[in-house]
Formats: sequence, C-alpha cells, structure tokens
Amino acid sequence: MNVIECEGLTKQQWRLKALDELSFTIKENTITGLIGRNGAGKTTLLKILAGLWQETNGTVRVFSERPFNNLLISANAIYVDDQMQFSNRLTLSDILHEAGRFYGNWDAELARRLFNYFSFHPKQVHMHLSKGKKSTFNMIIGLASRCALTMFDEPTTGMDASVRSDFYRALLKDYLAYPRTIIISSHHLEEIEDLLEDVLLLDQGRKYFHLPIDELKEYAVGLTGRTEMVMQCSANQEVIHTRQIRDDLTYSVVKNDNLPLNKARQLGIEVSKVSASELCVFLTKKTKGGIDDVFK
Amino acid sequence: MILNTDGSKPIYVQISEWIETEILKGNLKQDEKVYSQYKLAEMFTINPATAAKGLNLLSDENILYNKRGLGKFVTNEALGLIIDKRKNQTLKGLLLEAAIEAKQLNVSEVELVQMLKGIMTNLEGDA
Repeated sequence: MNVIECEGLTKQQWRLKALDELSFTIKENTITGLIGRNGAGKTTLLKILAGLWQETNGTVRVFSERPFNNLLISANAIYVDDQMQFSNRLTLSDILHEAGRFYGNWDAELARRLFNYFSFHPKQVHMHLSKGKKSTFNMIIGLASRCALTMFDEPTTGMDASVRSDFYRALLKDYLAYPRTIIISSHHLEEIEDLLEDVLLLDQGRKYFHLPIDELKEYAVGLTGRTEMVMQCSANQEVIHTRQIRDDLTYSVVKNDNLPLNKARQLGIEVSKVSASELCVFLTKKTKGGIDDVFK
Repeated sequence: MILNTDGSKPIYVQISEWIETEILKGNLKQDEKVYSQYKLAEMFTINPATAAKGLNLLSDENILYNKRGLGKFVTNEALGLIIDKRKNQTLKGLLLEAAIEAKQLNVSEVELVQMLKGIMTNLEGDA
C-alpha cells in the first residue's frame, strides 16, 4: 500500500518554485532518506505532507487524503524539526503528557526511558534547552508518538556524535518493533544510509531520482588516470563529475551503464567506488567542475 | 563484525559474506536456522530490507533454503558451495591484485611465487 502519493506537486513561493511538478509514491513501512542541497525543497515537501503548508498545484495524498488542514493527518503524521514550538508555560514533562493526550499510539514508557537516558530534567523549559538538547527532546516526541507517518527534518542538528548514533539506533530498534513509514531528511547521507531502504533525491524542487539505496551505491564509478585514457573510456557515457587533478591526470565520475571496467583497468585507470553521499553531491552540483571553477 | 561503511562493498553483500563466514567457521551448521532479517537489522543497525537482500542472495546461490513461515536454513551443500566460491572469486581476485601490483613493481613470476611460499611457511609456523 502507498502511504504517500504525489502527482505533479508544485509549490510556488513568490516567483520561485520551491517544488516543481514532483511525482512519487512512498510504500507503507519503509524508511526513506530525503536528500538534496540547501533550498532543494526538502522542508517544503515535508511540511506539505504533514498538512502544515498548502500545495499550489498538483495532487498530494497521504493515507489517501489531502493533508492540508486535515485532522486525520494531524493525528497520524508527525513532523519533527529543530523549530518545534512549545508553550513556555509547560515544563518538559508537561509537554510529554500533552503529546500523550494527542497521539493515539503514544508510548509513555518509551518517552520516559529516553527522557531519563538523555538526562533531561522534568521541570526544564523547552526554550532554555541548548540546540542539541532541543533536537534530542524533539526526537523523543517523534519516536514516542509512533505515528504511522513519521517525518524527521534534519533531526540531528546540534546533536553530538554520541547522541546522533544513539538516535539512529533508537529509531531503527523502534521501527523494527513497530514498523511505520519514516522519512528522514539529512545532509549527512553517509550517516543514515544504512538505515534507509530508499533515497529520494531532490534538486531545485524537482525529483532527481527515487531509488533503493543499494542501486544508488552502484549507480556510478570513479575513474582516475591519464586524461586521454579517462576521456577515451568515458566517451559516449554519462559523465557526472570531472576534476583535473594535474595537467595530465583526471578524476571522472561516470554512470555505471555497462562500462568496460576491465578494459579501463588495463589502460591503467584506477576504478573506485563512489559513495552514495558523494554521488548525490556531484549529481546536484550546478557546474560539473565545482568550487575550483570560481577561482579560475 | 563491524560493517565497512566506506562504500567498498554494498552492505547486503557484507551481510551475506558474514553469514558465509559463520558457516565456514562452523558456527552455523547444516539445517540450522540462520538469523532473520529483523535480527540481522538489529545486530548491525541496518534496514531490514537490506538484510533481507543479503539473505536472498544466499538463497539464490542454494546456500540457504526457505521453510515457509519458519525462516531460512543452511543447505547441505552450503559449505562446499562457499569454499568453491571463495576460491574462484575472492581468492582469485586477491591474486589478480597481487599480480597487477607485481607487474607494476617489475617483480618476476618466480620472485612472486617465492614471496607467496615465504608467507605460507610463516603462516604455518604461527599455527
């Protein structure tokens, strides 16, 4: 079953299209990574899916309903980011209590355990928490709500390395015990890729691709070698990125479409893997050369 | 085992190789049940779909078989298949790398074989 179905989804903000004719579906009980550069439209998409923002054009369906201003969506979908607002009249323990009253599947025991594990004080006020502590607290709300659609937007902002890895493990363990549809947006694909089943890559409001993570890892290869050899090997192939290391030495990232890799090796070209996160950066770069071109 | 996340090998391949090694070591015997995709996901903090892909890879190679509703079990030809595969693919691959490096360094065939013999003797001395 599809939990999310988007068809031609467009969001116009002023004269800019934050989302541009976006079409995709997300299956029930999968973990999807939402990846893209700053301003690619990740947050806009998640806020529309959560029913917080209204789409301009196209159709968007969550649990077969239009999410905007929809109580079914509010009760069954949660959007977690580092801007979550809570009343300063409520203590942290009050907030957990109120969240429990709102979300039908709320797991108070899990919330309490995570709350203690991360050393929160029940009488603290959300506004006074540090950046990392805020993210950690919001993550507790996101996990304990057990919403059928759970969306984390850059959940690890400000978290230290240890809390980040605890968060990923907590997320996975709770997902295994209580499968649900999860979307995580992140700039750190390398940190979350093991958790993911699929990756949705956005580029300037458009879908670049929506692929299983394993296919992404075999999507392209890196070729390093004498420039003319690399050129010869990548002729008629889709070159994703290329960088001149030295006058006569080139590194090219080429789509792995039946590339003659053994021949390349015989020509003295070094063939290397391209990690999923590097690939996403290369794919969504505006120019093929990168920062070096600015200094030419 | 710690998964190697530098992208050198897909995670599902690493999972299937880890199970193969468990069989090679005798930790998993013929007709014994192997870990479920959920157990593997928990053990390695990976997506259960990735773990399932690793298990299916082994089913396709007749190293594991399905019992409907019960999970996956080690076949009786598993050990032989794994040894065969490791010899023909992994070991040959490593030798190919060694040969390419030797060629780059102008190390002759005789010298390379001697080096290998020396390493084998040392290994046996240690054991």
